[in-house]
Amino acid sequence: MIQAEKLSRLYGEQYAVRDLSFHIKHGEVMGLLGPNGAGKSTTMKMLTCFLPPSSGTASIDGIDIQQNLDVRRRIGYLPEHAPSYSDLNVQEHLSFIGRMYGVPKATLHDKIREMSAACGLQGRLHQRIDELSKGYRQRVGLAASMLHDPDCLILDEPTTGLDPNQMVEIRQLIRRLGEKKTVLLSSHVLSEVDAVCDRMMIIDRGELRAIGTRDELIARSSSGLVLHVCMRGDADAVVTQICEQYKTCEVDKHVLAEEGLTKLVFHHSDISTPLAETVFSAVVSVGGVLLDMHAQETSLEDVFHRVTGSAL
Amino acid sequence: MSLSWFQIISLCRKEWRIVMDTPLGYVMAIAFLMVCGFFFESNLFLIGQADMRGWFSILSLLLMFFIPAMAMRMLADEKRSGTFELLATMPITTMSIVLGKYLALWVQILALLALTLLYPLTLSWLGNLDAGQILASYLAAVLLASSYAAVCLYASAITRYEVVAYVLGFVMLLLLFLLSKAMPTFSPAVQDWLVLLSPLSHYQSMLRGLVRLSDVMFFIAMSGLFLTLTWFELERRRWR
Repeated sequence: MIQAEKLSRLYGEQYAVRDLSFHIKHGEVMGLLGPNGAGKSTTMKMLTCFLPPSSGTASIDGIDIQQNLDVRRRIGYLPEHAPSYSDLNVQEHLSFIGRMYGVPKATLHDKIREMSAACGLQGRLHQRIDELSKGYRQRVGLAASMLHDPDCLILDEPTTGLDPNQMVEIRQLIRRLGEKKTVLLSSHVLSEVDAVCDRMMIIDRGELRAIGTRDELIARSSSGLVLHVCMRGDADAVVTQICEQYKTCEVDKHVLAEEGLTKLVFHHSDISTPLAETVFSAVVSVGGVLLDMHAQETSLEDVFHRVTGSAL
Repeated sequence: MSLSWFQIISLCRKEWRIVMDTPLGYVMAIAFLMVCGFFFESNLFLIGQADMRGWFSILSLLLMFFIPAMAMRMLADEKRSGTFELLATMPITTMSIVLGKYLALWVQILALLALTLLYPLTLSWLGNLDAGQILASYLAAVLLASSYAAVCLYASAITRYEVVAYVLGFVMLLLLFLLSKAMPTFSPAVQDWLVLLSPLSHYQSMLRGLVRLSDVMFFIAMSGLFLTLTWFELERRRWR
């Protein structure tokens, strides 16, 4: 369980993170989204005790991050770019990490084998890390972060540099881990966060802009219902009927004279309105032909864009 | 401030493994032994002296070149490659990290000095050797090298670049060296203070075969001071 209360971090006089509050339950995967410089890595650095907060508090499994050695034992951390000791081979690197986290000598070898199998590192254990591809180094970092079986995993862009197949494997692994552990992961890949995370939070300029499940975020940031209609027949009559029934409904009309078609776009602020049914009935009632009708869906990209005012 | 000796030794082992797995350690050992051998041999055959006082005097200069090279990657490389973040988020205190690195450096220095034990063994075969003086001189060399190691570890903590760490370490050791060489230019009162503060004065004093507690304490205090400065430098990120 990770809990943060008004967590802030100042660099000089500038806030990198400001009044950030959130709660991640045990067995939940939380995605941390934000544009570059939003404060994602600083948030993770505070939670892993690398940097102390300027104000506010946070706790991992109920232990305040001020008691940092106890907290660090409970966390598995994969920093950005998955740094590792490139002069060592994978086995030596993982052994070192295991010893530093106090993994008992009797079980260390088995743990390394288990984690290297989980991260697809079999056959690479005796290879020097500087001879590995970026994807494999990322796997080494992931294996190292999970070696001591931590309760919480904090992963800063865990799939950067992986090929699509590796990405799928690592996402499945995180998903599996998320059933038993608390996972906080940051990513620039919205589809990844969508696929892996139970909930997500979007931060921008150090402040929390949105938090919730995918559907909640989409519902919250949606500007209403947008219905695209393509019809043949008396479009004006349809528009009149709809506007009489829904006073706040706005319509854009585009006539394709050569094809004898009319394209209509209805905007309504209430997403729960049965607008599609009403439009269908209206087209039928004026003797028109309905060729296409679809609601425009709000994507996570739209949510991100609206919340932060920028694209990823 | 809790210290975990198991973790300190694990960190030391990791550093030792890197030295043994890369050409760095071997190149350093070969270069050190070649230069040391040259000065030992020139004393023995060219000047015809079967003692090691001259060699120990030159050793203090050689350490000025070799210890910054051994220490330069210790913390600078961790910072540059990002592994310092990995290390600093492990359940280990900053002082334990400093001590682990220092211990690793110290073990490497001891290994290098141990290789030079061949010289007194050769001399003892050629003639009578003052074993007490040689032991005191080796103790002096270990203490001087330990304090130099602490200075150079600090230099490695204040930058992300190994070359900069080498230059900074060397310049700091050079200043300490020049402090003793420039001593005659100061007034007698200042000289008394400078003698106390100069590592070379304490080193030269021990080379005479005299192990004084004040000399030993000086080197321990100097190492302690620079290890504390290293700790401060690593902790400083938290206070910015």
